[in-house]
Amino acid sequence: MTDAAFSALGSLADPSLLLMLAIGVLAGLVIGLIPGLGGTGAVAILLPVTFGMDPEPALAMLIGALAVVHTSDTVAAVLLGAPGSASASVTMLDGYSMARQGQAKRALSLAFLSSMAGGLIGAVGLTLAIPLARPLVLSFGSPELFMLTVLGVSLAAVLSRGNVVKGLTAGFLGLLLGLVGTSPTTAEERFSFGSLFLSDGLSLVAVALGVFGLAEIASRVGQRRVTEKPVALTGGWGSGIREWLTHWTHVIRGSLIGIWAGILPGVGATAGTWLAYGQAVATAKDKRKFGKGDPRGIVGPESANNSVEAGDLIPTFLFGIPGGVPSAMLLGMLLTYGIQPGPAIVTDHLDLMYLIVWAFAIASVAGAFLCFLATGSLAKLTKVPFAVLGPGLLVVMLLGAYQEGGQLGDLWVMVALGVAGFFLKATGMPRAPFLIGFVLAIPMERYYYLTASLYEGTEWMTRPGVLAFAALLVVPVLWSLVKKLRATSGAADDGHRDEHESEGVAGDELEGSLAGTPWSAAVAVVAVIVFGGALWMSGSFSEEARLMPRLVAGFGLVAALVLICQEARARLRGAGGHPVEDVHEPVGGSGATGLATRVRPSADTPALTRHHDLVIAARTFAAMAAFLVLVMVGGYLAATLVFTPAFLLYAARARPRTAIVYTLVLGLVLLSLPSLLPVDLPTGLLQ
Amino acid sequence: MTQHVSKEDVAASGDQDVSPAQEAPDRPAPNPRLAGAIVAGFTALAVGVSVLGGDLLNPAASTTDGDYSGETVEMMIPLAEGGGTDIWARFVGAELTEAVPGSPGLAPVNDDGGEGILGTNHFMTAAKPDGTEVLVSTASTVVPYLLEMPAVRYDFTELRPILANGTGAVVYARTGAGVRSVEDLVDRDEPLVFGGIAATSLDLTTLLAFDLLSADVDSTFGFEGRGPVNLALQRGEVDIDYQTTTSYGPAVDPLVEDGTAVPLFSLGQVDDEGEIVRDPNFPDLPTVVEVYEQLYGGQPDPESLETYRAILALTYTYQKALWVPEGTPDEALELLRSTAEDLGADPEFQKSAAEVLGGYPIDASPDLAERIDEAYQVDDSVREDVLELLETDYDITID
Repeated sequence: MTDAAFSALGSLADPSLLLMLAIGVLAGLVIGLIPGLGGTGAVAILLPVTFGMDPEPALAMLIGALAVVHTSDTVAAVLLGAPGSASASVTMLDGYSMARQGQAKRALSLAFLSSMAGGLIGAVGLTLAIPLARPLVLSFGSPELFMLTVLGVSLAAVLSRGNVVKGLTAGFLGLLLGLVGTSPTTAEERFSFGSLFLSDGLSLVAVALGVFGLAEIASRVGQRRVTEKPVALTGGWGSGIREWLTHWTHVIRGSLIGIWAGILPGVGATAGTWLAYGQAVATAKDKRKFGKGDPRGIVGPESANNSVEAGDLIPTFLFGIPGGVPSAMLLGMLLTYGIQPGPAIVTDHLDLMYLIVWAFAIASVAGAFLCFLATGSLAKLTKVPFAVLGPGLLVVMLLGAYQEGGQLGDLWVMVALGVAGFFLKATGMPRAPFLIGFVLAIPMERYYYLTASLYEGTEWMTRPGVLAFAALLVVPVLWSLVKKLRATSGAADDGHRDEHESEGVAGDELEGSLAGTPWSAAVAVVAVIVFGGALWMSGSFSEEARLMPRLVAGFGLVAALVLICQEARARLRGAGGHPVEDVHEPVGGSGATGLATRVRPSADTPALTRHHDLVIAARTFAAMAAFLVLVMVGGYLAATLVFTPAFLLYAARARPRTAIVYTLVLGLVLLSLPSLLPVDLPTGLLQ
Repeated sequence: MTQHVSKEDVAASGDQDVSPAQEAPDRPAPNPRLAGAIVAGFTALAVGVSVLGGDLLNPAASTTDGDYSGETVEMMIPLAEGGGTDIWARFVGAELTEAVPGSPGLAPVNDDGGEGILGTNHFMTAAKPDGTEVLVSTASTVVPYLLEMPAVRYDFTELRPILANGTGAVVYARTGAGVRSVEDLVDRDEPLVFGGIAATSLDLTTLLAFDLLSADVDSTFGFEGRGPVNLALQRGEVDIDYQTTTSYGPAVDPLVEDGTAVPLFSLGQVDDEGEIVRDPNFPDLPTVVEVYEQLYGGQPDPESLETYRAILALTYTYQKALWVPEGTPDEALELLRSTAEDLGADPEFQKSAAEVLGGYPIDASPDLAERIDEAYQVDDSVREDVLELLETDYDITID
């Protein structure tokens, strides 16, 4: 085995192979920067180039791109709060908070260094795991995979900032949204209201970029100047590396979890990053800062994020079951070279396997290193006012979402979800469980159904794997209950997931600013109506197709009702004594009205800021809708040419020269994109 | 914090803010006339672009001139990555586009919603009829079409075939479930668990085979694909499964070698005379009809046999095909078809394709459209037979 390993390494010394690897890495990095394109986009661009090449250079190029796509997609998540993938939303929790405190450079350095290590450890793990992979995969039956999906959603619900009931409600809402479309067990349409478009299910990119990205634009676009004070990081790269080194245990733990989760086909990648975050929180003594810019919250998941990709290659090669679209395309490429996946690949094509392992390791180190070198200039992005970034971001994100299905409907869904995301954010409902629920809904239903039909009664619940996962689920809950009991009897409380603790930390001014107001009560009521409606509608489905929607809507209804009780109690208490939210000092959120009102030093300032935020968000969403109408009429390019200068001049109040140059550059980029990348521009009625 | 400065402070202290590079904290509203002029200017440009430049942005494909250079053929694969159809489509697609004059690029798109129905629906409504968009059809999309399921919004008579390719399949079982030979299919204490995707997918042919043999089998549907079923069988969750020819080698051969699984029978092939014969790729395995004779010592009921034969021909003999939309120019289709025909006859291609195609030839002769059309006209009695089986045994009614 070692012979093959070193001969593969030797073949990588070939300059042409290294060149291909470098091209792949660069393409992967650039594409990863654009939220929504991700690994699929990278492989889709490179795949046509590889036709006619020998297998080795082609593989080097594709692996190079795959290894780094998740390194650079951190940039949009950390700097702009726009995660292009479900796993990037984990890094966003702490990374974005850190960036908003002016420490973007620190957050990015930590993330890139962790990615580098994750990729490296992933490659080593890939080599070592090959002999273990088969028993491991075979020991995970449908019950274990089902439990893993449950664990993924619950961890997200419990660990996200905000209270647990809100997290659970958001998780159930996400699950319900994921069920829209065709049922995996009976192929019947659910919650599609007879629409061909909805029967396809909603696109992940549209949901992720809508709930996070667009909501972020709407909540920050009122900001015409930079509110974050950049914290000067002295000592340059050296200090970044030193700080990162202090978290080395988290790097190793995160990477190992990533490899393990990546090996499990289907659900591994999404659940794995959350497991890595979960263990970082669970094992930390001081949990107070998680979700508010804790470095450990970046290091763990970001290491896992890259090693998942390595782990994912194992089921792809050994069983021909790819865990994600990128590895599936890689599989397709191998097949066109006549290399069949299967256990025999290890014996028949060992040199190629090692080439992949080495290419993966080299690419992830090189990619993360390049990103690390660029952190300084990347972090400068946070110095541009969001109002100016807004229109460009909007145009790019909507275009990214359009690529998946090629349907304008996706863009409307995205804007609608942007509104939903804005209210979730403003009322302190964590959005990460929403997204994870959406991603895991169908796998959860599939494995639940298979478990229920392949195992008799409750026999599956006693399987060791299932018990272990159940323990992982229940023990932290019990532990926190015990702590709570102790806390009420006088002891201190660890502060984690207690939203009122957040006052001290300069976080996001909007996050939770509407909590405790009629708005958050309204969100709870809407959730109850949605769950109730879903419960009622699921009555018309066939018995098998109704199982999962009923469970989700039922539990969701309970969670939402509890939430309403909480809201009511908070209001009663608020009316009687000191309203909780008034303690919450507004930070940032400027603009004409905000500044004018801020002069009055009175107790109703928060209410006015809230009003101001809502007005700006309403205007921004109206502008997005107007943009989509323009797209429908005149096509994407024309709509951009009208929308961008108008937005820049009237909303962002940019200088005329800036507006003209900005628009022209954006227009030229859109004009040239279709010929450079596999990107389609939506066409309008006039075209 | 700097955010809390009042208007007066700002006016007095000027640009002492965190980012001196940026403008003053609150900028004045733009000069309405200038702003209006800029927006109007861009609007005029936009109108110009959308009216005049539409063709420039989305250049029309020129595929009728016998040359595909500079084009990209988008191939809609309505099933998940890594499955049998996906393997096949990517291989044939890559070889075909390379052989077409001008060697266009190939962009495979996997849309695996609703067991292939949604992707095909999407192609039907959205594909450009210019010879650059190709649909892959497979049994999972053909069966729902035949059964006239409500989710189906496509019609193969409104599409035109480029090429077709058959395949075969082998049913195998887990030895751990007490299966040694075909005799263990009947008179069991406990039924065998069959893992499937959906009764209305390619699984249908295997279900018809079980029905023909009166095998004691219980079916569970909802798996993601045949790969996961194969894994579930290795875990012991499922007892009996089938794999198509292309994936049989890598997925089942190792299991047979180590004694985990035993091959039972092949679904067979329909020959030119309409007889069910042994699969050329599995000459040692009996067909369903032979197994029936072995178990019951006679010929199966002719009506059931006819249903099985018609569905077998459709789901295996013409299993996979490449299609273009109806409005595609004849020149473009003919170029693709004749290229495919030459490709199929090329000994070098046959050699390299042997593994992926599993030894079933590419069919792209000029009369392909006619023959496919004929195969797609299934007798009402066959359809009723299948619907009855689905309703009585699998509790599936199709409105």
